[in-house]
Amino acid sequence: MSVHDFWTPFALEPFLNALIVGLSIASIWLVAALGLTIIYGTMGVINMAHGEFIMLGAYSTYVLQSYLGFPFLLCLPAAFFIVAGFGWVIEKVLIRHLYQRPLDTLLATWGVSLVLIQGVRLVFGGEPQYVGVPTWLDSAMQIGFINLAWLRVFIIVVSGLMVLLTWWILFRTVTGVRIRAVMQNKEMAASFGINANQVYSITFAYGAGVAGVAGALFGAFKSLFPDMGSGYIVEAFLVVVVGGGQLIGSVFSAGLMGEMGSVFSYFTNDTFARFVLFTLIVVFLRFRPQGLISEAMTRR
Amino acid sequence: MMLELQDVTSFYGKTPILQNVDLSVPEGSCFCVLGKNGVGKTTLMRTIMGLTTRITGKLSIAGQDATSQPTYERAIAGVGYIPQGRGILGKFTVRENIQLGTFASNDAAHGVPPLCLELFPYLAENLDKRAGHLSGGQQQQLAIARALATDPKVLLLDEPTEGIQPNIVKEIELTLRRLNKEIGLTLILTEQHIKVARELSDYFAVLENGRVVETGPIAALTDELVERHLTI
Repeated sequence: MSVHDFWTPFALEPFLNALIVGLSIASIWLVAALGLTIIYGTMGVINMAHGEFIMLGAYSTYVLQSYLGFPFLLCLPAAFFIVAGFGWVIEKVLIRHLYQRPLDTLLATWGVSLVLIQGVRLVFGGEPQYVGVPTWLDSAMQIGFINLAWLRVFIIVVSGLMVLLTWWILFRTVTGVRIRAVMQNKEMAASFGINANQVYSITFAYGAGVAGVAGALFGAFKSLFPDMGSGYIVEAFLVVVVGGGQLIGSVFSAGLMGEMGSVFSYFTNDTFARFVLFTLIVVFLRFRPQGLISEAMTRR
Repeated sequence: MMLELQDVTSFYGKTPILQNVDLSVPEGSCFCVLGKNGVGKTTLMRTIMGLTTRITGKLSIAGQDATSQPTYERAIAGVGYIPQGRGILGKFTVRENIQLGTFASNDAAHGVPPLCLELFPYLAENLDKRAGHLSGGQQQQLAIARALATDPKVLLLDEPTEGIQPNIVKEIELTLRRLNKEIGLTLILTEQHIKVARELSDYFAVLENGRVVETGPIAALTDELVERHLTI
């Protein structure tokens, strides 16, 4: 293999296309990481079952569509409520009792993830399942030299809307004031009439619901396997850790990581791009372990 | 009685910090808890607020049994808390900090109560300033405003004059007197300054090693008692 085979020279139009693909990758990582950002950023819970919440969202969509005939667009909010309800139960019966013990939470949620994978495998079998999409999402957008599947455009739009909705809830509603108060100081929040347990329930359920929506989107994008969640959990955690656990941080880190990955793979190839990207992340975290947007910065 | 503790023992983990405390605070009075550092004054406040691990005995707020009530329900029941160190949420604006208080009141609109603005003109002019940027005295005013926003029956003030410039101490004292005498709020405060305690209070209790060793009307707080229990 010569250097020329390995290195693709720069050309404007394909390069711009790579940037747009990067945006699409970023939006996928962002929507996968959004629920995790909420749960980790506000509650400090490391939820190892996050990938399986995504998987549940995908299978909910599959069941609603194949057995009950739901249209795809209706499956998105439905997946939100189904997985949010599931998350609410998990918080009540398990996570609630482990708030003071982060390591135990990590192990317990990992256990939940194993149970979910095997449970879904028992019910639906190990073979892949598919979610159908409306025909208007099934073609590609063609504007000049830009070529992007409509489904990818749809994911960009939905992830943008989810971020806006989450921002609005956190910073523009009374519920958001309650959540942020508990985040800053649980004792003080309780001393002023806030039921912190209820806030945790709602927050966890919301984060789970967002993962459900991500699952519904990914189900349309790729085939469904019981262990499909493990394919998203690594990137989701990287986005959250590099971002610093804040909503705005996750937006930036997903954007940066998606674009960098796409640009690297344009010049070289996918495997090498991932290698470079992950190495850069390790180096970045060595020098800035608090992530892009840290607590101290938002305190300003 | 606005607040009553009967044989209350309060624990952090398995360690009892307060032991066999009996206190009665009449409605509309100002009750001062005295004692040297580390005798359990702050723990007494936290016990009333339900922030210790557990308690034995009986605690009632405004005639209602509150022994096993969670913290947030006590706040709703009418206890306004001004903690030691003030407990201001630094990332919130002044307005959001006051708004936090309204979660324990009946105000569904969660607005800033007019009384807070009237008592503290500086806060009224800086509602959108980040609370972390306020000075110590301003934060203390904010802590009082936040507690008032809960529409309380009784205010718990843990060292309200600690670490504050002397001229602001006088101001806070006047505010507290007004809340107690004009508005009729019951006050429970811990205080290091005997002078402030004597000027404000109707009743006192002295703590030593987590137990109440002296209690009575403020007139009974003789120099001899101060000498024996409070002089270092």
